[in-house]
Amino acid sequence: MKLRTEKVSKRLEAFSLKEITLEVSKGDYYVLLGRSGAGKTQLLELICGLTSPDSGKIFLDGEEITHKRVQDRGIGMVFQDFSLFPHYSVHDNISYPLNIRKVPKEERKRRIEQAAAEMNITHLLSRKPYYLSGGEKQRVALARTLVTDPRVLLLDEPMASVDASLKDSIRRMLRRLNREGQTIIHVTHDYGEAISLASRVGVMHNGRIIQEGTPLEVFNHPVNRFVARYAGIKNFFRATFIESYNTFSGITENRTKFKLPKADYPAAGLLIIGSSEVLLSRQGAAGIQMNNIRGVIDDIVPSATGYEISVAAGDFFYVDITHREMEQNNFLTGEKVILSFPPEALRLVGETEESRQY
Amino acid sequence: MKGQTLFTWVFTILASLVLLFIIAPLAGMFLDSSFGELRATAADPEVQRSVWYTLAIAFLATLFFAFGAVPLAWIMARKDFPLKKVVQGIIDLPVVLPHTAAGIALLGFISREGLLGGAAQKAGIILVNNGAGIALAMAFVSLPFLINAARDGFAAVPERIEKAALTLGATQSRIFFTVSMPMAWRSIVSGFIMMFARGMSEFGAVVIIAYHPMIAPVMIYERFNAYGINYARPASIIFILVALIFFVLFRTLATERRMIFRREDETTD
Repeated sequence: MKLRTEKVSKRLEAFSLKEITLEVSKGDYYVLLGRSGAGKTQLLELICGLTSPDSGKIFLDGEEITHKRVQDRGIGMVFQDFSLFPHYSVHDNISYPLNIRKVPKEERKRRIEQAAAEMNITHLLSRKPYYLSGGEKQRVALARTLVTDPRVLLLDEPMASVDASLKDSIRRMLRRLNREGQTIIHVTHDYGEAISLASRVGVMHNGRIIQEGTPLEVFNHPVNRFVARYAGIKNFFRATFIESYNTFSGITENRTKFKLPKADYPAAGLLIIGSSEVLLSRQGAAGIQMNNIRGVIDDIVPSATGYEISVAAGDFFYVDITHREMEQNNFLTGEKVILSFPPEALRLVGETEESRQY
Repeated sequence: MKGQTLFTWVFTILASLVLLFIIAPLAGMFLDSSFGELRATAADPEVQRSVWYTLAIAFLATLFFAFGAVPLAWIMARKDFPLKKVVQGIIDLPVVLPHTAAGIALLGFISREGLLGGAAQKAGIILVNNGAGIALAMAFVSLPFLINAARDGFAAVPERIEKAALTLGATQSRIFFTVSMPMAWRSIVSGFIMMFARGMSEFGAVVIIAYHPMIAPVMIYERFNAYGINYARPASIIFILVALIFFVLFRTLATERRMIFRREDETTD
């Protein structure tokens, strides 16, 4: 099983999907990540056949399905609001696709029971969707789609309408489905979801896929500011890299200068620094490759794990510190401090002309 | 009452006046009639015949035209096409036409010289002064109620649910009958009741098409013209009561189904 889109484009009212090429192999958990309005849902609708592209082709198992009817594609989709039939019971919702396929009664009963057991909704079969919670509705919607044995399962923001407390169990369930061999394309705006579920990630922006790869590749080596911001990286700077007298350095647009270890640098690109990898002190840190930069604390904001401190030092740097570090140092807003950057904290990413646009 | 502002009081008084305006004439009519009079009128074969005739023709006219009105409503809710606004204007036209004028227009159409009337005559049916003609006149003036209510009902069905049915393998016709129609059902039924009620009470268009067989509004008018208000009043009361009973009955039946959907509506965004 392989799903492939080839330069698929579609003009829509507010924007367009532009030349989208992606490949999803059997057993993949492909997460399409992007802000709302990036075109993710529209791409799913193209893949499952609810709309057809203006140009480009879609293949499933080598067969072109670009203009094949939705009903004949064998692609299942679960919508963001689950779109259960309100006038049918849970049982009849799940039975709906089986009735269409004229599955014999006994077989139908068996498959409904099996799907209900897998999704842990057996006790809900006689209820109407109105009486279900968000998480239950979602499991019903999944069961209703899974009884069709979809070759690819499309999930549109499956966590968006579900309570935070249920997200873990849904993640577990989706991972289990995927482990059992279900190929999944999952659309989300939450990079945490992407990291926890994806075997491959595609980042969408303005109707394009701007980066693709394993979650590790994408989040550790974002191709541009947009992806970096998405990955929760706050310290990223457009920089030029120069060599003089055998020393290498990177200079940001605001003229902050970093010494860099010798390496093969692009002429210009992004300098990315993890907020938890920066050291903050009053006296600076020792070490030959250590970059020490003076600055002033601009703000101190409590975070889930401690504090996030922003420091003005030509550029703005964000530093995460733990509660314990805060207790020891008792940093104050307006105080002069020294930021220390270990060499391994500096990541350099070359920027292409195209990726500069974001 | 505690917490009531002057604003609420003024509005309550204005609202009560309007309600009183509706209730007073009807109540007055009841108070002016004796039980004996009503019983005698209810037993009058002419009254009985015309009341049942009215109900039956209005119901059949609504049922017959629903087969076209519901698909038209679906198209108006789901499809975009050139001149859609003009089509909507045509649908609403019977509401704004003076009903006698509508009757005249319809008479030209269904009389022997008319397009439909000529064709019907070849088939051996004369529409003028006939139940079928009355049904057409009732339908002509009351169709917008069904079409518009059903259109609103279809428009309120989230398109995503229909899309979900598509991805589950349903054809468009199956989606219509298993998803769109059941979900829009309450609006369709409510439109059906309104069309039925409006058709039943039609006088202007009907009287031009067919004085006989006499439907209740024409019978009341005739009694008023020939014998005056005291003779027309009991017949009016009987007709109003019967119409009311049917109206309430249909509404109740429709509301029971409505409960199923209302709850779901609250959860759809």
